[in-house]
Amino acid sequence: MSQPATPGVLAALSPRDADTSSSRRAELAEIDASTSGTVLLFFLAGMVWLLIGTAFALLASYKLHAPDFLSGQAWLTFGRIRTAHLNAVIFGFSAEVAVGVLLWLMCRLCRVPLMAQSVINAAAVFWNVGLTVGIVGILKGDTTGVEYLEMPKYATPILFVAFALIAVWTIVIFRFRREQHLYVSQWYLLAAVLWFPWLYSTAQLLLVLEPARGTVQAAVNWWFGHNVLGLWFTPIGLAAIYYFLPKVIGRPIHSYYLSVLGFWTLALFYNWNGFHHLVGGPFPAWMITISIVASVMMIIPVVSTAINHHFTMVGHFGKLKYSPTLRFIVFGAVSYTVSSLQGVLSSVRWFSEVAHFTHHTVAHAHWGMYAFFTMTMFGSMYYILPRITQREWPSERLISIHFWCTAVGIILYVAPLSWGGWLQGKAMLDATVPFIDVVKITLPWLKLRTLMGLLLAVGHVAFFANLVWILARRFGPYRQPEPMILAGVTPAAPVGK
Amino acid sequence: MNYGPLLFLGILFTLAGSWFGLVLLPNQQLGALQPNVNTNTGAIYPQPIPGEAAQGREIYRSLGCNYCHTQQVRPDGFGADIQRGWGKRRSVARDYIYQKPVMLGSSRTGPDLTNIGERQPSYDWHYTHLYNPQTTSKGSIMPPHAFLFRTQRIAPDGPSTNALKLSGEFAPAPGWEVVPTPEATQLVEYLRSLKSSVDIPEAPLPKSEE
Amino acid sequence: MGIISFILIGSSLVFPAVALWALWWAGRHGQLAHADKAALLPFDEQEPVGRMTDVVLNRPKASKASHPPQGGPVP
Repeated sequence: MSQPATPGVLAALSPRDADTSSSRRAELAEIDASTSGTVLLFFLAGMVWLLIGTAFALLASYKLHAPDFLSGQAWLTFGRIRTAHLNAVIFGFSAEVAVGVLLWLMCRLCRVPLMAQSVINAAAVFWNVGLTVGIVGILKGDTTGVEYLEMPKYATPILFVAFALIAVWTIVIFRFRREQHLYVSQWYLLAAVLWFPWLYSTAQLLLVLEPARGTVQAAVNWWFGHNVLGLWFTPIGLAAIYYFLPKVIGRPIHSYYLSVLGFWTLALFYNWNGFHHLVGGPFPAWMITISIVASVMMIIPVVSTAINHHFTMVGHFGKLKYSPTLRFIVFGAVSYTVSSLQGVLSSVRWFSEVAHFTHHTVAHAHWGMYAFFTMTMFGSMYYILPRITQREWPSERLISIHFWCTAVGIILYVAPLSWGGWLQGKAMLDATVPFIDVVKITLPWLKLRTLMGLLLAVGHVAFFANLVWILARRFGPYRQPEPMILAGVTPAAPVGK
Repeated sequence: MNYGPLLFLGILFTLAGSWFGLVLLPNQQLGALQPNVNTNTGAIYPQPIPGEAAQGREIYRSLGCNYCHTQQVRPDGFGADIQRGWGKRRSVARDYIYQKPVMLGSSRTGPDLTNIGERQPSYDWHYTHLYNPQTTSKGSIMPPHAFLFRTQRIAPDGPSTNALKLSGEFAPAPGWEVVPTPEATQLVEYLRSLKSSVDIPEAPLPKSEE
Repeated sequence: MGIISFILIGSSLVFPAVALWALWWAGRHGQLAHADKAALLPFDEQEPVGRMTDVVLNRPKASKASHPPQGGPVP
């Protein structure tokens, strides 16, 4: 029994969709429930890979300033452990959690339940099998030697099948959407699933299966590598921020027109950035210059997004106290702006001359993939998990530990190492400085990085513990109180979401 | 912005741009490069590297050496690569036409190796350095590769000819010697093959070096 | 170098032309109208504009004010 509903926002928007609020709530409950198993599968698998990837990361970081550590076996050598770390956190943690967030958001915004979950669940299984085979292959020494595509040929077709299934399913959800109006997040999500298979298949073809001649490989490599960041992870991260930021604080995004501008300028410019990884390299000048120009043009989407996020948040910073999602999302959004501007600067020739080939690049990569993307994904998981498990987070303390360890850990990793990399680069430009002294300059920054890595690891373990706990509760008896999202709903309103 | 097909087209169109400009066009311009034939000497450069060195390249790849070492010399005036003795001229596309995969590298935790074969031709230096970088470069953060070597008892008729010349804390126990495995030999042959100081039209050597 | 210049200059004229046409088409066919309303899509009756939806930490005690100030967390 529900009160007669006043025409909601959506009724005003599309008179045909004259749902009552109760039927819409029930619909959302049905949609959330339909995604829950699949999203949980991706989140859990992703978090396991985060723990594995963090272990590899700590090992790799430590070995850089203590090279004798565990150096007796080939499979533990730095070159393999670093590669295993990268693939585990990119194709394991980041991409799987990204897909979980992508599916939940797409279903919710399209107002369509997830169909044929078994197909996507199978894709998840394929993915994890392929990834395991691939990472074991890297440790064995079967790496392809191509950055960001190191997993051997016997593993990647399995992964490609998984990616293709997910892309197809997302497009199907989009095609059969019941909500005719599109929200900005949906543009980004659709774009990500259309772009990624194209990138991946081109790269596999021209780099691994039928390698192109000479430096054309490097060209394709960095077109691919940069676009994994710019056309797959960034859109999904932005989609999450554009949804969760307004949703949590209860206020719509500041300027929709600005988000249209941001989307199309990102789409237009980002994909041309790739060759800024090759400044000074064996290439015709026009190729490098085009990428530098495109990188500088990225200021347009980055600044418009930053303006949008900032003016939406202004006046609501007090709410950071209450919502872990908001904390992580705002941290991610600010980091997106800062790391992107760092990227623009890095691509310019006079900066690149110093910072290229140094730890500055590593720091920048983590500023983007961790401080922006990973923190955004953590924030998204904090919002989604209670709603699909119908449980509250068991431990507020673990949430605080997670946030503070990762926020402090990543800032004190990427900012100091960026500076250390700059110093390394300046020394390298001075031919009178012996190379061994250039290496010595980097050591304090590398040691700090290992220390901060430990802090990040503590944060990850805290979150994983909370995740396992909230899942364990899911299989236990149904518990009161209702999840916090129902707080404030009048008793007459329907239960279940 | 609600029209699906428009969105779809725009999304594909934008990526098509760089697929065209950063993949297709470079392939057009660089994909069919041929080795240069020196008009005076008839020497062909570059050439595919011979068998042992080619196998050594696979070991270099499998150990992930390219994550700490680059193989690209930047032009004079942009970076100090040439001043550091890493090459006599900048690297150009033609240098890489026979390489699969091309391992330009993106990080100089260690020095650039484009011309390490010219800079460091000594077998002994490479073997001891690979066994434990501290022997030749104290304070180096390069990991030891003792797993590429075998410690064995010295035979009754004397030490092996290719036993490593190690001393002090790095030497094995008395009566024992360290010898390279075939993998170590291949890797060293590969490193010794890395030479590109050849005069080619698009990147001539500085006059004093010819 | 000739064919490449031709392609680069040609495409740098064609691409923006098509993009501008698409922008004109979008404007003409109402894609950009009522943009502010689209920004309201994440909200609905139960989670309307003005209500925070994720109060997890530092929750105000239930015994406090029964009706929260507009825009604040809900006990």
